[in-house]
Amino acid sequence: MSWFVKFWGTRGSIPVPGPRSRKYGGNTPCVEIHASPDPALLICDGGTGLRELGLDLMRRRKGEPIRGHFLFSHTHWDHIQGFPFFIPAYQPQNEFLVYGTSPGDHRTFDLLSGQMRSEYFPVEFSELRARITPADLGGGQAVLDGFSVRCLDLRHPGCAFAFAFEREGKKVVYATDTELDLTPTDPGQPAPEPAAIRSLPGALVELARGADLLIGDGQYTDEEYLAHVGWGHSRATTLVDLAVAAGCRQLAVFHHDPMQSDRDVDRKIELCRERATRHGSKLLVFGAREGLELRIG
Amino acid sequence: MATDPDREDPVDLKTFQQGPTPFALFLMHGPGSPRTFLLTREEMVVGRSDAADIQVDTTDLSPWHLLLRREHGQYTVLDLDSPNGVYLNGLRIHSAVLHEGDNLQLGSVVLVFHEGRE
Repeated sequence: MSWFVKFWGTRGSIPVPGPRSRKYGGNTPCVEIHASPDPALLICDGGTGLRELGLDLMRRRKGEPIRGHFLFSHTHWDHIQGFPFFIPAYQPQNEFLVYGTSPGDHRTFDLLSGQMRSEYFPVEFSELRARITPADLGGGQAVLDGFSVRCLDLRHPGCAFAFAFEREGKKVVYATDTELDLTPTDPGQPAPEPAAIRSLPGALVELARGADLLIGDGQYTDEEYLAHVGWGHSRATTLVDLAVAAGCRQLAVFHHDPMQSDRDVDRKIELCRERATRHGSKLLVFGAREGLELRIG
Repeated sequence: MATDPDREDPVDLKTFQQGPTPFALFLMHGPGSPRTFLLTREEMVVGRSDAADIQVDTTDLSPWHLLLRREHGQYTVLDLDSPNGVYLNGLRIHSAVLHEGDNLQLGSVVLVFHEGRE
């Protein structure tokens, strides 16, 4: 039994196709977690990368029924806009569950289906032929086709959720769209030692504790962040601090800013690696890029 | 034509004026290095076996170590369950779309991918 993580969309806010984003990709967030040989399939977010995942699933499954679990960090546009173009949702043999986090919470399902009203899109949600139903994670955790899943609410305008996935002793945490810095610009506070681990949300550190892979919001460089305080996203160097504090093994810097070219992301990742080294950590830092697939267990 | 002076990564117009160039793997470190292998087929296997499309004769490699597959003008690398694994720019991967300058490490063997144009 093996399981894998694959990145289908890594860009934040808005798709940015073109020559400046060929390496890291221009599609908005979508991450696939799947097992082999059993067909367990979990999908984190449905940004425009979901379209490519759908096409790939159609090729891989060759007409066999597809059953998948959708876990949305939240329903901001860049995390749901790929769903109307997810071809498996149009096939009657397929089944998908759309999760809320608390019992009876169908808000995600309602908002997802709401974007397919005729005012926004020519195909109504009710015309989708797959069986698509709302579900929930009960008290914030559940077992989905062999994966233990836990969720945690994050600091982001309108709220977002992180998810921890565990199976066979391996752990992956997906924590995007959150502003990690708690008191970044308070003029009344003394400037912290730049090299020290910054203050972090304790519950998120615990959720990420010991993860084999942390996929996290590292949208900004330190300089970019100064102009975006309060926007709900993190500077990548603080994400490094989270991964180091939580003892993670690998860190995927995710949700790249749409203004960043491939070279900009390369530079951002280099700064992250320098920070991890200064912490004395062996953390392996990389920039999440489209088409990259890691074997987790 | 208007130009944007703030644009950091201008597209090199020469790339539109040149003809096709081959995709290639440059063997930077390992037996037989330095050497360039042209990627001429849609699927090519790198491994120790003398039946591999690109043979690198060292026990660091499995007989069939990785597969390179061309689709939509891009090459994807896939680890063929090799014990020593495939490292892309230092990260152990299962598969990835390759881009110019990507570094593939297979044990002590280092290959650099050069992106061609169809």
